[in-house]
Amino acid sequence: MNLIDQIKALKEEALRLIDKAVDLEKLNSVRVEFLGKKGKLKAILKTLGKLSPEERKQVGQLANTVKEELEERIKQKEEELKKQALAEELKKNKVDITLPHSWIEVGSAHPVISTMFEIVETFVAMGFSVAQGPEVEKEAYNFDMLNIPPDHPARDMQDTFFINKEGYVLRTHTSPVQIRAMLTQKPPISIVAPGRVYRKDADPTHSPMFHQIEGLLVDEGITFRDLKGILKIFLETTFGKDIPIRFRPSYFPFTEPSAEVDIGCTVCKGSGCRVCKDTGWLEILGCGMVDPNVFDAVGIDWERYTGFAFGLGVERIAMLKYQINDIRLLFDNNMKFNHQFKGIR
Amino acid sequence: MKVPYSWLKEFVDIQVSPQEVADRLNETGIEAVAYPFGERIENIVVGKILSVGKHPERDKLLVCKVSDGEREYQIITGATNVFPNGKVVLAKEGAVIQGKTIKPVKFGSLQSEGMLLSLEELGIGEDAEGILILPDEVKEGEDPNKLLGLGEDWIIEIEITPNRGDALSVKGLAREVGAVFGLKKRDKKPSVEIPQDDSIKIQVLTDKAYRYRGVIIQGVEIKPSPFDIQLKLIKAGQKPINNVVDITNYILLEEGQPLHAFDLDKIEGEVVVREAKEGEKVITLDGEERSLKQGDIVIADSKKVIAIAGIIGADNTKVDSNTRNILLEGAVFDNIQVRKTAKRLGITTESSYRFERGVDIQNLPNAQDRAVELILQTATGKATGYKDIYTKPYIPKEITLREKTTKRVLGIDIPKEEAKELLERLEIPTEITEGGTVSKIPAFRSLDLEREIDLVEEVGRLKGLNKLSETYPKIPTQAFRKSDEFNFDRRTRDFFKDIGFDEVVSYTFVDEEIYSILGLPVPPIRIKNYLLKIQSIMRDNLAVSLIKTLQYNLRFQNRDLKIFEISSTFFEDYEEIRLGLLATGKINRGFDFTKGETQYSTTQNWDFLKIKGAVESYLKMLGLDGVKYTQIDLPYINPYEGAKVSVNGVEVGYVGRIHPEKAEMLEIPKDTYIAELKLRCVGRTLNNQECGSDYLFNLWKNKDTVVFQELPKFPAVKRSLAFEVDEDLQVDKLLEAVKNFSPKIEAVELFDIYYLDENRKSVAVSVLFRDKEKSLSDEEVNQLVEQLVKDLQNRFNLKLRT
Ligand SMILES: [Zn+2]
Repeated sequence: MNLIDQIKALKEEALRLIDKAVDLEKLNSVRVEFLGKKGKLKAILKTLGKLSPEERKQVGQLANTVKEELEERIKQKEEELKKQALAEELKKNKVDITLPHSWIEVGSAHPVISTMFEIVETFVAMGFSVAQGPEVEKEAYNFDMLNIPPDHPARDMQDTFFINKEGYVLRTHTSPVQIRAMLTQKPPISIVAPGRVYRKDADPTHSPMFHQIEGLLVDEGITFRDLKGILKIFLETTFGKDIPIRFRPSYFPFTEPSAEVDIGCTVCKGSGCRVCKDTGWLEILGCGMVDPNVFDAVGIDWERYTGFAFGLGVERIAMLKYQINDIRLLFDNNMKFNHQFKGIR
Repeated sequence: MKVPYSWLKEFVDIQVSPQEVADRLNETGIEAVAYPFGERIENIVVGKILSVGKHPERDKLLVCKVSDGEREYQIITGATNVFPNGKVVLAKEGAVIQGKTIKPVKFGSLQSEGMLLSLEELGIGEDAEGILILPDEVKEGEDPNKLLGLGEDWIIEIEITPNRGDALSVKGLAREVGAVFGLKKRDKKPSVEIPQDDSIKIQVLTDKAYRYRGVIIQGVEIKPSPFDIQLKLIKAGQKPINNVVDITNYILLEEGQPLHAFDLDKIEGEVVVREAKEGEKVITLDGEERSLKQGDIVIADSKKVIAIAGIIGADNTKVDSNTRNILLEGAVFDNIQVRKTAKRLGITTESSYRFERGVDIQNLPNAQDRAVELILQTATGKATGYKDIYTKPYIPKEITLREKTTKRVLGIDIPKEEAKELLERLEIPTEITEGGTVSKIPAFRSLDLEREIDLVEEVGRLKGLNKLSETYPKIPTQAFRKSDEFNFDRRTRDFFKDIGFDEVVSYTFVDEEIYSILGLPVPPIRIKNYLLKIQSIMRDNLAVSLIKTLQYNLRFQNRDLKIFEISSTFFEDYEEIRLGLLATGKINRGFDFTKGETQYSTTQNWDFLKIKGAVESYLKMLGLDGVKYTQIDLPYINPYEGAKVSVNGVEVGYVGRIHPEKAEMLEIPKDTYIAELKLRCVGRTLNNQECGSDYLFNLWKNKDTVVFQELPKFPAVKRSLAFEVDEDLQVDKLLEAVKNFSPKIEAVELFDIYYLDENRKSVAVSVLFRDKEKSLSDEEVNQLVEQLVKDLQNRFNLKLRT
């Protein structure tokens, strides 16, 4: 076999072994065996001296090409083996991607507070400002200045908690915030006042503590039709564009004319059910034009200004929205209840 | 109030269905529902009781023989008001009573072949006490369905608002229905003639009896009322008693005028209407002894109180089966006084209910004489005279209603001609004047209609508020105020919700016991008329509520809790809105990446630094720096794992671990962590002057705005230093001393602490040096470090570790 054939055979064998190498170590030993200082290619080249210069050149060139080819092939194989090794390494350290995460769980919102904030924001977006008042309230603001004199049957409408502080009660509604606003601001006034209120009442639909939102708009030229407009926007925003709305004349000492506002039952869509007591309607809020006596009490001229006021119970709306059937669940704070309200605002 | 539709029709020719009447009443301001009076029942018949005997084996049962005219039935009953010859409603086999089909049933050895029915079982009343006894003139074998009108008549049940006492009668409701439908109401006029007799011994000594009219009727015979009167009362939800009492009730329902009949022969001397003496006692018709107070109005004779005016009669002058002569009282008393007395005594009667809401003083003679006429018809006798004490006759108030006022309030034009027409439908005489109308308010609306606005409401509700179209007002932009408190609360709420706390809302009232367990003084505000004693104290911190919430959840095996609440706490002169946090158990239930061969849990438990972290992140979110933690002294917080929190020298709350002793007493986990921050204050005065400004809200609102600082131009040099210090040195003090040593120290970071022995520990920090003007050389830094260590050694018992 001449040298050229020997080199060709050597190349074939080397290529075969490179392909067969299963790891970097094996590959390296192939490199050493064929291309090393004491390798097979070197060994062949050592015999070059016996050849004619012509042949020497030819064989030398071939040997170089083979060397480069083999080196290239080894490099490729090396890359391959590294990739393989990394893939194995990664696989070895794989994660069960379905395991529970270790980041914080998001907290749950309370359905009443959530509903309250949402409603307030609706009115804030319409241009109302948020006002507040204390829960231990002056009797004068809670009753007398709202045109509810002592011994008036209207005081019976709201069973009051009395406290050990003369002249104060736990406020029975958020309406005293109206008085506070009108005593501290000159018209025009536009406020919405959320807050806790208290009545001596406890059953599946009444809680001794609950939340209300009060609204008041006082300016020149405000009419009952304006009241209807504002409430329509609010009710449609809260219950949907097509919600039926009706205004029933009613009585509140601090507004006249007064009305109760009903919406079509959201549960049965008006056909009658337990929630709406088969009437197809749900009482949702009370409202009316501010009574001139209230303006008198706070020193606003009724001949110049008119105003409207409304008040709504937050629990009722939250219970309708989430179909909660017992008001007491709202204040028990059993986490099995609260955790149902993740992902609401 | 329940008004039979047939009765209503006696006063107004209404042609529409009862449901439509109810609907229209709702639309115009009186809550009303209409439902049929009973329902037709098959297999019932009028029976005559032939005999009543005791059940041989069962003590409480009676055995009746009852005839329906064709055959005899043996009926076993538990009712005690059965008697021979009594006429009753007999349910025979196959009748369906309250959903159950009647079948022969054995009681001991005897068989009952049916059932005798009460009003409740007939589906027309709430009275289940005793069976219904029909009048004698009814014949056995008749059809009770026809007799009682079951399923034929309708009931309109109304509920009035407190201002509409005028509608609390059949006649009053007829007037309202007439106004709504544009129909004219009829009146019933008595044809009896009673002579005026001022010698009747009645005297009024109080100005709280606006009118007092007594009629003497002699020779009456007390017996059951005629069936038609009884039936009307039954339909209206009342129980027939005897002819005289029934007729006073009948007139009360029909005319809205409460009346009271005294047994004249039981009255001693003169009848006086006066104020009660303090402590005066009377046994009222319901058998209760009542103690009176000065100010209460009573009717008395020369010896005793015979009625509490407008509320209830006394037992001592009650009409009974032996009564022969009566004094029939018709009166109008002061509504506020009746209300006060009734409320104090805890009595509500049909009479007091109406007096409190106003009774038509002008209609009194008409109503009373109608009663007299009916009494004479049903109880015979003779009305011998009346005396009417009415010193200040009613003068109708004149009220002007301007067209422009209607427009200003309702937003629609109602021409004066139309206003007149609407008001006159309500029987309010009205004249047209320049720019409006003038009305003379009749007595039946005198409490309700006092001002122009009251008439605006009347025309408004008759027009129908529901029919007004909406307009959209301009919200006055001058009134706009930034809602800072609301925004602050919202940001706080969002923050804690988003970092994993669950929002709770708890009652603001708690019990005294939790305060004594926690070792805290009882807060100042308490509810006097609490529903439950355990809900009688207005809390002055949120911890009490958060702990209660934890205790409640432990009952349901909810052991891992991280909750927050933003709510009120109550003090003598103001309220604080606070944030409360409570955390216990596991923070999360997560897993981490593979380490070696095992997937391991990274579930972490709460500890002091974690809850402190929640608080501190919140303060960072608000943009507040200068947070300090100092020694805490709260009886329910572990003093070695708790701290007061202050921001720029203002104490804003605390954070810490429950004291283990308290945890044991409260039966809650010892690893319970609580934090409370004072968010803001709500005063009770108009300008919040009692509040001060030591609240996070004020700090947040008044904090400096962020001002951009030039980015550093020269590189920093970092050095790590380890100090040996006393074990009880608070690391914060060391870090602060390092940081404040030189303006060239940009930052200090703690990276390691370990304890060398009982008394000493090693604290390792990395310090970042930077000069704003130039690059620092190693030399300079070395010098700074040297000076720093010297300085620290002057302050602390400290050694540099190498
Ligand atoms: Zn419904």
